[in-house]
Amino acid sequence: MFIVLSPNSGVPVYRQLIEQIRLQVTGGRLSPGDEMPSTRVLSSQLGVNPMTVSKAYGELEREGILERRPGRPLVVRALPPAQTRRKKLEQIRESLAPAVTTARQLDVAPDDVVNMLREMLDRTSEPEETP
Amino acid sequence: MKVLEFDDVHRAYRKGENVLDGVSFDVTEGEVVGLLGRNGAGKTTLIRIAMGMIEAQRGGVRVFGLDPRRDPLTVKRRIGYVSEEQTLPGFMSIGDVIRLHRDLFPHWDDLMAEGLCDRYALDWNKRVKTLSKGQARQVALLCAVSHKPELLILDEPAGGLDPAARRDFLETSIQLLNEAGSTILFSSHHMSDVERMAGRVVMLHDGKVLLDDPLDELQENFAVAIVPHAEGRAAALQTLPECLGVRDRIEGLHAVLRLDPEHARRTVEARMGIREGRYDRLGLEEMFIEIAEGQS
Repeated sequence: MFIVLSPNSGVPVYRQLIEQIRLQVTGGRLSPGDEMPSTRVLSSQLGVNPMTVSKAYGELEREGILERRPGRPLVVRALPPAQTRRKKLEQIRESLAPAVTTARQLDVAPDDVVNMLREMLDRTSEPEETP
Repeated sequence: MKVLEFDDVHRAYRKGENVLDGVSFDVTEGEVVGLLGRNGAGKTTLIRIAMGMIEAQRGGVRVFGLDPRRDPLTVKRRIGYVSEEQTLPGFMSIGDVIRLHRDLFPHWDDLMAEGLCDRYALDWNKRVKTLSKGQARQVALLCAVSHKPELLILDEPAGGLDPAARRDFLETSIQLLNEAGSTILFSSHHMSDVERMAGRVVMLHDGKVLLDDPLDELQENFAVAIVPHAEGRAAALQTLPECLGVRDRIEGLHAVLRLDPEHARRTVEARMGIREGRYDRLGLEEMFIEIAEGQS
């Protein structure tokens, strides 16, 4: 599994793990039924405390993203489409939160921020190249 | 089960100058505790007291419930220990050193020792005095972990090592955690290693425990507030119960608060009426600097 940890980011390692695995599931890089590496394997691969990996796995299990079956490796769960959408939105909310804080600190009007976001979305949703 | 108990430990090398001035904390089985502090904060002294190498002048230490000064052999058989200034006898070969340790420790694991020898590319016939600093430390680590100690104590183990050798240390410690579930106490100045390894952080300052928190909480529930200078403001910030230190910098005052950034903002705005502050999370390295330097 491809995970990059950024040390000294102020984000706890277990949170970084959760976010990256979640992203890979919602983004389709991990599919339902895929097996996760064991705590032991992932902790040696990443060079982190195994407790940190089990904490992240536990959290992802509670969120319903991973599923534990007795005696088998953890697997990615199949999510109903509505839930996938909700997870995606939650993820976007998390990345927008710092922008909202900045807007507040800089005292920028909410409408201006919303317009800016709309503009950015419109720009990036256009196809890059038209054949 | 408590593996390590420090109870009001005092120690001075010169009369009236306490290196340790009442240190108390416990380490429970399976915990990985990072011991932080500036040079001279008392980390090595505390570790030496746990190892029974020196004695506390007041208060005491228990290792596996035992006094390391009274039961040194029983205690040491269950501990793996590596320190920066540890020396191995120069005339011995690596193989001799390993055989010596193998005879001393009943739970010695030949497979683990051989595996580490291969990983570190150590030649059994080489004499200790011909080894580089990094290789000598690798031999020390190999001997410390291959008897599957219940407690591993590392005193600045990566001091003076290059990043690749440091990584080996980290990976070997993680292997020990995975295979034996050992308890680990380690001191380090490398905050990225602390972030990868530690479940909990204890920070010493001036011979006292300044901070003792789970690492995740330290990262999620702490923030730095950067506010403009004003007469008496530094002292006022210090009086906030959540404040851990204030630093006077060119761009403003830096205060580390035991609050997440949003709560920090609300607290400083409400209690001090400061509107123009910035509130951020901190990486462990910045947090260490802010807190260590922010002590008055």
